[in-house]
Amino acid sequence: MDTRVIGQSLPRIDAWEKVTGQARYPGDFSMPGMLHAKVVWSEYPHARVRRIDTSKAEALPGVVKVITYRDVPVNEYGINTKDQPVLIAEGDKARWVGDRIAIVVAETEEIAEQARHLVEVDYEPLPVVTDPGEAMKPGAPLVHDERGDTNILHHFRIRKGDIEVGFAQADVIVEGYYITPHVEHAYLQPEAGLGYIDEQGRVTVIAAAQWPHDDLHQIAHMLNLPADQLREIVPAVGGAFGGREDMYIQHLLALCAYVVRRPVKMVFSREESVMRTGKRHPFYLRHRWGATRDGKLTAVEIEGISDAGAYASTSVPVLANATSFFAGPYVIPHAKIDGYTVYTNNAVTMAMRGFGATQPPVAYEQQMDKLAEKLGMDPVELRLKNLLEEGSIAVTGNRMPPGVGIKETLRQAALAAGWREENGHWLKPDLGPPSASHKRRGIGVACAYKNVGYSFGFDDKTTARVELTLEESGAIHHARIRVGASDVGEGVHTALAQIAAEALGVPLNRVEVAPLDTAEVPDAGSSSASRHVYISGNAVLRACQEAKAKLQEVLRAETGERHIEAEYTYCGRSARPTSPYDPETGQCDPHISYGYATQIALVEVDTETGVVDVLKLWAAQDVGQAVNPDMVVGQVGGGVHMGLGYALMEEFIQQEGLVRTRNFAEYQIPTILDMPREIVPIIVEVADPTGPYGAKGVGEMTTLPTAPAILNAIHDATGIWLDRLPATAERVLYHLRKLTPEGKTE
Amino acid sequence: MICEEYILASTVEEALAALASLRGEGRLIAGGTDLMLQLQRGERSVRCLVDITRIPGIDEIKLEDSYIIIGAATTFAQIERSSLIRQRAPVLAEAASWVGSPQIRNVGTLAGNVVNAQPAADGSIALLTLDAEAEIANLTGRQWVPVASLFVSPGVSRVDASAEMITAFRFRAHGPRESSAFERQARRKALSLPIINVGVRVLLNAEGTHVRDVRICIGPVAPVPFRAQQAEAALRNRAIDEDAITEAVEAAVLESKPRSSLLRAGKEYRRELIRVLTRRALLRAIAAARG
Repeated sequence: MDTRVIGQSLPRIDAWEKVTGQARYPGDFSMPGMLHAKVVWSEYPHARVRRIDTSKAEALPGVVKVITYRDVPVNEYGINTKDQPVLIAEGDKARWVGDRIAIVVAETEEIAEQARHLVEVDYEPLPVVTDPGEAMKPGAPLVHDERGDTNILHHFRIRKGDIEVGFAQADVIVEGYYITPHVEHAYLQPEAGLGYIDEQGRVTVIAAAQWPHDDLHQIAHMLNLPADQLREIVPAVGGAFGGREDMYIQHLLALCAYVVRRPVKMVFSREESVMRTGKRHPFYLRHRWGATRDGKLTAVEIEGISDAGAYASTSVPVLANATSFFAGPYVIPHAKIDGYTVYTNNAVTMAMRGFGATQPPVAYEQQMDKLAEKLGMDPVELRLKNLLEEGSIAVTGNRMPPGVGIKETLRQAALAAGWREENGHWLKPDLGPPSASHKRRGIGVACAYKNVGYSFGFDDKTTARVELTLEESGAIHHARIRVGASDVGEGVHTALAQIAAEALGVPLNRVEVAPLDTAEVPDAGSSSASRHVYISGNAVLRACQEAKAKLQEVLRAETGERHIEAEYTYCGRSARPTSPYDPETGQCDPHISYGYATQIALVEVDTETGVVDVLKLWAAQDVGQAVNPDMVVGQVGGGVHMGLGYALMEEFIQQEGLVRTRNFAEYQIPTILDMPREIVPIIVEVADPTGPYGAKGVGEMTTLPTAPAILNAIHDATGIWLDRLPATAERVLYHLRKLTPEGKTE
Repeated sequence: MICEEYILASTVEEALAALASLRGEGRLIAGGTDLMLQLQRGERSVRCLVDITRIPGIDEIKLEDSYIIIGAATTFAQIERSSLIRQRAPVLAEAASWVGSPQIRNVGTLAGNVVNAQPAADGSIALLTLDAEAEIANLTGRQWVPVASLFVSPGVSRVDASAEMITAFRFRAHGPRESSAFERQARRKALSLPIINVGVRVLLNAEGTHVRDVRICIGPVAPVPFRAQQAEAALRNRAIDEDAITEAVEAAVLESKPRSSLLRAGKEYRRELIRVLTRRALLRAIAAARG
C-alpha cells in the first residue's frame, strides 16, 4: 500500500460534515434554560460616560440582568497591552464606537434587543481625532490621557548603512506617497456563541477563536480566576482572517455566564460585526528609493504611519512586521526606515491576513515599477537583479535562511504569463488587442514575502499529543491527534492529519484530529502568521515519530500493549532563534521562516469609465512542500479574492469616528463576476529544511502581491499611478483625466 | 416577529378584500426582497402580509395585439429569459439581468421594483423608457395609468400597497426600425446599486438615417426615475450623426441633477457616466434598430 499522503490532494477531513450541514458553527449551539444577551454600544467615538442608568431596562419583564462595569472583576483586557476596558465605567470614556457600555441579559432575544435601547447613558462628547498624522501633532486630543501627552503608541526604526552615501550612488531616484484603507475581514460567520458553567463548575465559552488558550489567559485576568476554572470550545469556524485573534465576543460570553450563572447566547448582527470589531490597519507610506543605471538598488528612505485606532490590540507587532517588510524582498545596502503606530478614535485595527505584510507591497512594488520605467528596464528583469537569495543580507542585517524561493516564483510566473528570456534580458509578452477601442490592456508584476511563525524573539511553540490504538497484530488501527490548532476554515486539521498519516505510515482515514476544547487539547498557539503547518506540523510530526519509536519498542518487547501516547512541544527557536529590533538601528534576526509569492495580473481598463477588469492572474506561491495541493490552490483563490477587493473596491469608511459602511451592501467585496476570468495557480516548492517535509506557510502570502500586481497592470495600460487604494473606477478616471486635462483620453 | 398573519390570495379581488379588512395594517408581498428588509429594520410595520404570487396568471408574459403584457408578480429571472422581451423590448431584458443576483432575480418582481419607488430602480427605468402603463386595481375597479405617474419621491409610490395593487404592465412591443438598450455601472458587477443607469429607446425612419422618436431615461439623477426630455428633443427628427448624438448626450448631462454619495460616487463622476453610458446606449439601440 502506498501510504505517501504528503503532496496528495485528499478530500478535507471536515468536508462531508460541512457540505451536508452537519457541522455546527458557534451560533448553532443552544442549551436548556438559555438566556440571550445584547450589547449596549457607545454612541460616540469619543465621550466621557457620566452616568449609566439601567433602571428602565431592568424593569422590563424578562430582563434578568444588565451587566455593567461594576460586575467585571478586573475591568481591562487586550492581547498585547491591557488598555481596553471590558465595559466602560462611569467617569471613564469611550474611545470608539466599538466600546461597550453594558450587556443586557434577558429571557428572549427580542426582550434583550428591546431592553438594550432602554439603557440610558449620559455622555459628554469629547473632541475626536481620526487622522493619525494629526494625532501625532502636539496638542491633538489624547485618546489615552493616562499614557501621558502623546498618541504615538510605538515607533520602530531601521538604520542600515548610510543613506546619504546610498542616494549619492543612485543614478535615478523615485518617490511616492501611498495610502491604504481600513479593511473589514468580512468572514462569513458573524461573532456568535454560548457561555455557560460546565459540569465541573468551569466558566465555559463556545465561540470562534484563533487562539483559545490565549483567550483563557485574558479571561482569567478579567474574571480574576485561575485558568483551570475556565474552558473554551471552538467548533466549526466560518472564517477568521485575523479577525478572531482578538476577543470580540469570547470574554463577553464568559462574563455573562460568570455573572448570571446560566447559559447565555449572544449573536452579533452583521452590522455589529462590521461596525464594532477590528479592521486591517490603514498605512500612510512615504517612499524614496535610489538605484544605479544598471538597476541595482542603492538606498531606501521610508516612513510608514499606521492608524492603531482606539486600542493597541496587535498594532505594535503588526507595525514591527510591517517595518521589516517596508522595503520589500530586496537587497538594500543603505536604508533609513521609520514606522509609527498612532492611537485615534477610529476602529481598533488588528491582525488581518498578512499581519503588516499586506500594506507594504502596495508601495514597494509600485516603487519598483517606477524605477523600471525610469531605467527603461523590464520589471521582471529589475526585480531579478535585486531579489533576496539564500544568504542575502536583509534590511535588518540578518542573513536569509535556506529556502528563499522568491526568484523562482517570479521566474515561473513570468514564463507562464508569456515573458521571454533572451540574452540575459527579459521581454514582456504581447498582450493582444483590447476587447473594445475605448479599452486598454496592461500587465503588471508584483513580488512579496512574509514571515512564517512569530517573530522578534517571541517564543513560538506548539504542543501536540498523539494517541495510537493498535490492532492485535501491532499495526496502527487509529491515531488521534490532540493539538489546540483552530481550524478557522483554511483546513489546518486536514493538513496536520496528513502530516501525521505520513509520519505514522497509515492512510489518512486512520487519523482523527480531536475537537478543539481547551480542557482536552494542549496549546498550539494562534491560527495566524501562516504558522500551523510549519510550527504545529513540526510538533505533530515529532510527536508521531516518538509514538512510532514507542511502538517499535512495544513490538520488540511483545508487551501486548494496545495504546501508545506521545507528546512533543516544538519551539520555533529550536530551528532558528529570532531577536527583537535593536532600538537604535533595528538590526536583528526578525523571523523564523518565510513564504514567498509572485503574481502577475492582466487587466483591461475602460478609459471612458475607469472600470478595471482583471482578465487573468498568474499566482506563483512558494510553499516549500505542498501538503495538499488542492488546498494550496484554494488558498490562492481566496487570497486573490481578498487582494482584488483590496485593489479595486474595499474600503471601510468612517467619518469623525462614525461608521459609514455598516453592512455588506455598503462595504462591498468582490462577487464571482468581479474575479479574474482565469486564475493560474503555480505551486513552487523550494523546501525549507526546517519545515515538516520541507513545508512553509501559505495562508497569507497568497493575498500579498495581488493588489500591487493589479495597480502595476493599470499603470502599464494607462500610464497612471494609483497612490491610494482602492482603485475604484471613479479614482482611475480621475487620474486619467488629470493626465489629459482636456477631458479626452485619446 | 415580522407579522402576525400571512395570507396567500388566490384572486386579485381576494387580495384587495383582505387589504380592505385590514384597514391599512396589511401590505402586499410578492418577492419580498425589499419589503422583508424594511420590516426587519423596523422601517415598516404590518399586521398581515398578503401574498399575491399564487394568483393564477399573475406571473405571465404575453403579446396581445401589438402590446406586451407582463403580470405584476413576474420575476426578473422570467423577464431576462423571455425571448419575447429580449427581441421586442431588450431594454427591459437587459435591465432585469442587472438586478441584484440570481437569487434575488428568482423571486424579485417587476411590480415590487416599481412600488418600491427608487429613482434608479432598473425595472422602473426600463418601463419608463418603454412608455409603459400599469394596471392599478382597487375597490373602485381597475384602471391603466402611465408608470411615469406612479413615483412621488424616493421610496414613496402613488400606489398604496396597503389598499391597492398593480396587476400588470403593458407597453407597445418594438416594431420595425425600433429598438432599445440599457447601460449601467455600479461599484461591482452584481449585488450593487447603480452609480448611473440609462435606458434608451429609438424609432428610426425607414432608411435608418433619422431618429423619428426617442426615449432617454436615467437614474439616479432626480428624486424619481428621470426622463431626459431635452436630450430626447435634441435627437427627435434629426439625422443620425456624431453632432446629434453629442448634443443629446450633453443635454442629458445638463438636465440631470445627480448627487454626490459617499458610498457610490461623486456627482462629477456621475455626470461623466451619464455622458458615456447615454452615448453607449444610444449607439447600441440605433445599431439594433437598423438591424
